[in-house]
Parts: sequence; structure tokens; C-alpha cells
Amino acid sequence: MRRTVFLILASLGPLAGQQTVTPTAATVGPPRGTEIGNYNVMNSFETGYRFRSVGGDLGKYRSDVNFGNGIRLLGSRLTVNSKDGHGSLFDEIVLSTQGLGNDPYQFSSLRIQKNGLYRYDLLWRLSDYFNPALPLAGGLHRMDTERRMQDHDLALLPQSPVRLLLGYTRNSQDGAALTTVQSFSAGDVSPVFADIRRIRNEYRLGGEAELFGMKLHVVRGWDDFKEDTPFTLAPGTAGTSSPFTTFRRNEPYHGTTPWWRVHLRGENKYWAAAGHFTYAIGRRDFIFDEAAVGTDRFGSERNRQVLVAGDGRRPVTSGNVTLSFFPTDNLTISNHTAFHNTRMEGDSVYRELNNATASGPYLFFNFLGIRSITNTTDATLRVSKWLGLYGGYYYSTRRIRSVEQVEIDGVPQRLPASQDNRLQSGLAGIRLNFARSLTVSLDAEVGRADRPFFPISERDYHGFNARVRYKSKSFALSASARTNYNTNSVSLSSHSSRGRNYSVDGSWTPRDWFSVDGGYSKLHLDTASGIAYFVDFELIQGERSIYVSNIHAANLGVRFGLGKRADVYTGYSHVEDTGDGRVNPFIGSGARPDPFVPAQTFPLAFRSPLARLSVRLHGNLRWNAGYQHYNYREDFFGRQSYRAHTGYTSVLWSF
Amino acid sequence: MGEVRASFFWVISSLAVPLTLAGQNAPANQYVGGEVCRKCHPNVWLNFYKNPHYKSVASGTEAPDKTGCEGCHGPGQAHVQASGGKATIRAFSVMEPKQVIDACLACHSRDLSKANIRRSSHTLAGVACSDCHSIHRSPIPKFLLAKEQRDVCYGCHAPVRSQFSMPFKHRVNEGFMQCTDCHNPHGAPAATWRMGARPRMVEHALANEEPCLKCHSDKRGPFVFEHPSVRVDGCETCHNPHGSTNAKLLRRPVVFTVCLECHNGAGAFGRQGDGIRTQSASHNMADPRYQNCTACHVRIHGSNADPLFLR
Repeated sequence: MRRTVFLILASLGPLAGQQTVTPTAATVGPPRGTEIGNYNVMNSFETGYRFRSVGGDLGKYRSDVNFGNGIRLLGSRLTVNSKDGHGSLFDEIVLSTQGLGNDPYQFSSLRIQKNGLYRYDLLWRLSDYFNPALPLAGGLHRMDTERRMQDHDLALLPQSPVRLLLGYTRNSQDGAALTTVQSFSAGDVSPVFADIRRIRNEYRLGGEAELFGMKLHVVRGWDDFKEDTPFTLAPGTAGTSSPFTTFRRNEPYHGTTPWWRVHLRGENKYWAAAGHFTYAIGRRDFIFDEAAVGTDRFGSERNRQVLVAGDGRRPVTSGNVTLSFFPTDNLTISNHTAFHNTRMEGDSVYRELNNATASGPYLFFNFLGIRSITNTTDATLRVSKWLGLYGGYYYSTRRIRSVEQVEIDGVPQRLPASQDNRLQSGLAGIRLNFARSLTVSLDAEVGRADRPFFPISERDYHGFNARVRYKSKSFALSASARTNYNTNSVSLSSHSSRGRNYSVDGSWTPRDWFSVDGGYSKLHLDTASGIAYFVDFELIQGERSIYVSNIHAANLGVRFGLGKRADVYTGYSHVEDTGDGRVNPFIGSGARPDPFVPAQTFPLAFRSPLARLSVRLHGNLRWNAGYQHYNYREDFFGRQSYRAHTGYTSVLWSF
Repeated sequence: MGEVRASFFWVISSLAVPLTLAGQNAPANQYVGGEVCRKCHPNVWLNFYKNPHYKSVASGTEAPDKTGCEGCHGPGQAHVQASGGKATIRAFSVMEPKQVIDACLACHSRDLSKANIRRSSHTLAGVACSDCHSIHRSPIPKFLLAKEQRDVCYGCHAPVRSQFSMPFKHRVNEGFMQCTDCHNPHGAPAATWRMGARPRMVEHALANEEPCLKCHSDKRGPFVFEHPSVRVDGCETCHNPHGSTNAKLLRRPVVFTVCLECHNGAGAFGRQGDGIRTQSASHNMADPRYQNCTACHVRIHGSNADPLFLR
């Protein structure tokens, strides 16, 4: 009786699960698979129907969650293994899929290999991305695109001292978008449609060899990228809600990045050494052609064409050497030296034919070079069975050079600049093992940079990290506290950032049929940064941009089995930013323009309870049903709040 | 000169000692073969043909110390004679983290991804291979992880779990992405963005760039007009990569504070060391028209046509 009450309470309580309700985490079929000839086969397929009902801002729901209605192959798994490791064509097939059909997030992974001969890996993914014109750009930027990615890797003779590696990667994004274009004068923006068409292909060819105890890895790659997104005026807006009567923009952007990667590694009882070198030279060619006819905000008729052509180039050289020494069994010292040099340069000819200003051609040349050298030394010492010490010293130096050059009507202006930055930081930590299953680690880090590039970069920072971990066969508990403070102050400007995270997380599996896991995190961030801006042509200085975020996040999940017949999973996920505690976004508004005050904090809540039932109908068949609710609420403005009911019913089967 | 001689001696001795030790390895007769292990550990053996490590058994050509049970657990004769016990064999459950790493690297050191494992944050914190991988009871055939990858990581990184539960996030919980798309849990070389010291476990993309560019290839460039913040301090200058309560994973709820916190004209920052330039006087922040910076500066990640990223 007591057990029954406990189970009911566990299922109804503030339960967990940050994950999505599908696919169903259950197994069907013989637990050891089916023997077919010399192979063992295990398979499961989950097919079902998804539904959703959304109240409130559907666009925001699609941005955050995006599950829709329809029939899906919610998940599948297939493994085929040869029983003696000597299959005729293959020894192993591992295939898993998720969301195939029409889910917004689809995934498929395949591995086929024959021992000693080949290993082939495929990863295919699709993401349905939806940006519902969030108010970042005045609600004017909207995207509804699909990104498809696939990675193919083939290793020939994978177990031999000499291996051949081949690979191919494809990443494409296409779909409709609404973006903005500044029309004839500053601050006047108009929406235009874009038919996004981007594609990246990468081909790889290389090999690995083991020589004299060293491992050599050499790969040559070719990366191609092209974008041919055309922009057109939104239908029906010509001359009415848009200042344009006609608008057209094309900007084909194509290029390649051939690259080399070389890696050498060796290791024995007393030392390990690894060297890594990469060289890539990216180049992109472009032509930009924009023609617009319309009326500016002063009522004058305008006719403008902008033509830009040129190319951008970026050779990147980087390399690093890692040396590790093990003077004793308890001491490891590692030194890592890394070098990185990026030279970004590009030139373009900008020509504007304009009936108002009739400006001539502009010739631009821009260069940005970043060269950094980093040297780090880490050491870890095991003093005794229960005490370990670790620490490190990190030094890096960076040189940034730039040239901004523009030539207008044959008169060049050139603005070269160069600067050096240095950072020194140190880490010290202690690790305690009070028992085999209980570990405590504490560490602190301090860093000093002499000349950060940005006002919000790390300059004088320190962090503290504490972690406790307990793990036994059926119970795991971890707790952590982490602080990260940074100040970056110069005359007339100061920036401070204080982040504090606290968390506790645990899982308990006392029985095969019962498990519970949950966690809580408090994420605090407050920053204050000096800003300067204009109001009615008057420069306002000495103001500060303040941001305060206090996020409480909790999740809890309980799974229990009802005999061998059914499994129940219930969960709850809760994220709430309580902001700085104010109830009115405009509290504190003074002489400053209003937008800075409500931007200081953004309280909201995002909750998602879920429940799932899986019933065994037959050894090879289960019936599943699940429900997940999403509740998003913005406290101040609420324009994007929504509630969504989502769910599914499916069968999980094996043959 | 004395230091040089000492260094030379150190190098020679470090090369020579392992060769000497190799000759002193336990005699081959201490290896009893997997069939003997099978008698007492039938459950482990029963499904071992599905284990990636089985391929060393199938090849039939590996030396006894590199194949089967004893390839990882060491010679088993003493263990058999003592009728079991963790003290008589290499038992990973009682081994020190460094011993576990040494044992696994005996074969896996050839993997490029493990080049920095000796200095990784995980190794410094005493996290060893067997904390994330389960060799005999893994539900994930590929990589033999102890659980689904995200659950392995969340087990220690609870705040990260919270970040991926936020309204705006990369789709890790949805199965579209994995932590290893951006991170190398075995350690990564010094970052080529920021000042190199942090972050420490982020996997590099193609040309040792930030991993964001593996997927967001349209932001990669090169562009004629690069936005230096993207290249110098990286994407996280403006974005929270795991998840955020703010749209577009931004660090602030509105875009103009993201921009103005850098573009304040103060101090010795920026390319010329005279501050990151402020907005022009024509921008009137009291007018909502100027509060959405990216409505006009649409190519904020880099542009080929306009130095102010307008087109």
C-alpha cells in the first residue's frame, strides 16, 4: 500500500524531464536480438501520430518548440552484428533515426563496418528553423528555412598501420525570409523578401600511418560555399507601404577554402608529444547589384543603383605542440604552445549611380590580422589516495593589425593600426576523494589582461569553482557552485560582470522498474557597462547599461514500470527568470530615454510538464501515448506568450 | 652547458627506459585467453561480439596484451588462481584516473581527438574515460557511452542542462545536436579566439575557428568588412551559445544594449586604440526607429558591400 502511494505521489509531484516526450524510451523484441544466419539483429521502429494545439503567439511557439501535426517515424534503431567478426560484406550495422517524416528536428546516424577492411559513418540532420519576426529588429526579420546537414566518413583498412580516410560534408539552408533594407536615407528601413539559398560542400582525403611508434595524420580538404539569395520587394507594397516602386537586389557570393591538416603524435610511459598544424586559405568572390526606384521621406523621387564587386581572402595558419611528462605515476606536467595567424583582407569597388547625389566610385581595401601565441602549463599531482592537486599557468600574447583604406574620386585615405595584448592567468585546484564514491574538487582562477580589445572583454577576472560528486551503483548526486567575476575599467568607462551559478543534480535507480532524476540550478548574472549615445544630436555620456538576470531552473523526472506490462514516465521542466524583482518595466526611468530602463531585465517563465505511457501488447509490440504542455509567459509585455498542448500516440514494434 | 647535458640525458633516458621495460613485461604465459574468462563471466562474454573491441579478437593476429579481455584487464592468470578478486587483475572500477587513461590510450592514443587529453579540464578534475564510457553495459553501440551523450554531460554540468531548457537554445534535447558538435570532452587546443586561455574544451572548426562556423557557414566569410568582434573575441561576445532567455541567444533582451556596451567610444579599445566608435549623431535613441540596430545594420556578422554592415 505504502509503495502504491509513493508511486502515485512520485508521478504527480513536480516531476521532471528537460527532454522532449518523444521518442518513447522503451524496448521491444527479444532482449538479445534475433539470430539470422551468422548475424544477430535487433530492431525497433516507432511510428505514430503527433498533434499540437497552440494558443497565443504561434510564431513564438514555432521558434521555441515547433512540433506539428502528422504521421511520423518517431524513432528507430537497428543493429546487425556478425557473431564471429567475419561477416561477408559487413560485421556491424548500427542505424538510428529520430523524427523522420515531418518533425522539425530530424536525425539519422548510420555506421557500417567490416573489421579490418572499412568503416563508414553517416550523420544526416535536418532542422526546421523559424524566426517569427522577434522584436530585435522591430519585428521585421522573419525566417522560415530548413537546414540540412550530412557528414560522410569512410576509413579504409581502419585497423592497419596505414589507413586511408575519405569524407564529405554538405550543409544547405534554404527557405523564405523577410529582411530589411535601408532605403534612400538613414533610418528609413523597408521590408524586402529573400529566397535564401546557401550551400556548403566539403571534400576530404587523407591518411594515417604509424611509423617508429609515432602516429601521423594528414588530411587535405576542399570547402566550397555559395550563396545566391535574391531579394525582391514584398508583393503589393510597391509605392504604398514601401518607399520603393521597384526594388531588386542580387548578390552572388561564391568561394572556396582549401586546407591542410597535419597531426603527429607519440607517447610512451614517460612522455607524450603531439603536434598539430592547419593551414587554410579562404577566398570568396562576390558581385552586389541593387536597383531601387521610389520616393524618399522628404518626398523627392529617387533612382539609385548600387554596384559592388570584389573578393575577400583569409589565409589562416595555426599550429600547436603539446608535451606531457610523467616523471612519476602520480605527477603529470603538460605544456601546450599554440600559434595562430589570421589575415583577413578584402577589396571592393563600390559604385553608386544616384540621381540625387551622383556619387563616384569608392575603392575599399580592408585588412584585419590577428596573430596569437599561447603557452600553457598544467600540472596534476596525486599526493595520496584521497588528495590531488592541480594547477596551471597560462600566458598569451596577441597582435591585432588593421588597415582601413578607402579611395574616393582618386583620393586615397588610409588608416593603419596595430596593437598588442597580453593575458596572464593562473589556476589552482584541489581534489579530494573521501571515499571511492565521493569526490570534492575546488579550484580558483585569476586572470589579468593588459589591453583587452573590447570594453566588455575579460580584463581583471577571477572565478571560483566548487563541485561535490557522489556516485554509487544506484544513486548519484552532484552539486556545484561557480562564480565568474570580470571588471574592465578605463577612464570614462567601466564594465563589470558578475555571474554566479549554483546547482544540484541527482538520480536514483533503486529498482529496475523505478528511477527518479532531478536537478535545480540558480543562474545569476548582473552586469553594468558604460555606454554613450545620442539624443537629439546631444551626446550622452556617463550612463550605464545595467542587466540583471536571476534564472531558476528545475527539472525532475520519474519513470516506473507497472509489472512487465507498462512503463510510465512523468516529468516537469521549469525555467523562470525573476529579473531584478521589479514589477513595472519602467520603474526607475529618469532623464534617460525609456528604452534603457525596461531593457535592464526581462522576467519570464517557461514551463513544460510531460507524461508518457507505454504498454506492452506483445513481445514485439508496444502502444505508447504521451502529452507535453508548453507554457511560455513574458511578465512585462506578454506579446509573445503562448500555451501549447502537444502529444502523440504511436506503436513501437520489432520484427 | 650543464643544463643542455641534463636535458640530453633526460631525453635519452626517457626513450631508453620504456624500451628496457618492454623487455621486462610479464611473461606471455600469464595470459590465459578469453575462453577462460568466459567461464566465470558468461554475461560479459555473451554479447561481447557486438562490442567494438571484439574486432581485435576477430582479427586473430593481435598479441595477447592487445586483444580480448586481457587486452584491457591485463594478464589473468593470477586472477584465475585466486578465484577472482579486483586486486589480482586490472579492475577499472578501482583504478586511479591516470591509470584508466593510460590503459585506454595504449590503443586509443592514435585518435586525433585525444591529443590534448593529458591537459584537458576533465583530466585535471580527475574525470577518466570510465566516468563517461561503459565498455560492457553501454546502451549506445557507437562510442560506448554510459548513457545518451547529453545525459552523460548533464550528470556533472547541471547549469548547462538548465541552459538547454531555455526558450532559445540549440536543439540538443531535441536530438538534432550533441554536445560534441561543439566540444571535445577529451580536451582541445588553446582557443584561437579571445586570448587563448579560455574556453578550454571547445572543439575547433575547419581552420581552427570557432565551432559555430561548422553549421553557420554563411557567417564564416571572409568578408571585405569583417566585424572584428566576431573574429577577435568570438561569437560569444554577443551570444550565449547553449541557451538564453533572450531572442537569438543574445546576451541582452534587446539588441541596442548589446551594441552600445561596446560602441561607447571609451578608453583604449578597438582597432585604433581610441575606443570602439560610438553611433553617429544622427541616431536619436529617443526615437524607436533607432533602437533596433539590426534593422538597418543587417549584415552585422560581416559585409562585402558596406563598412557599416548596412547591406
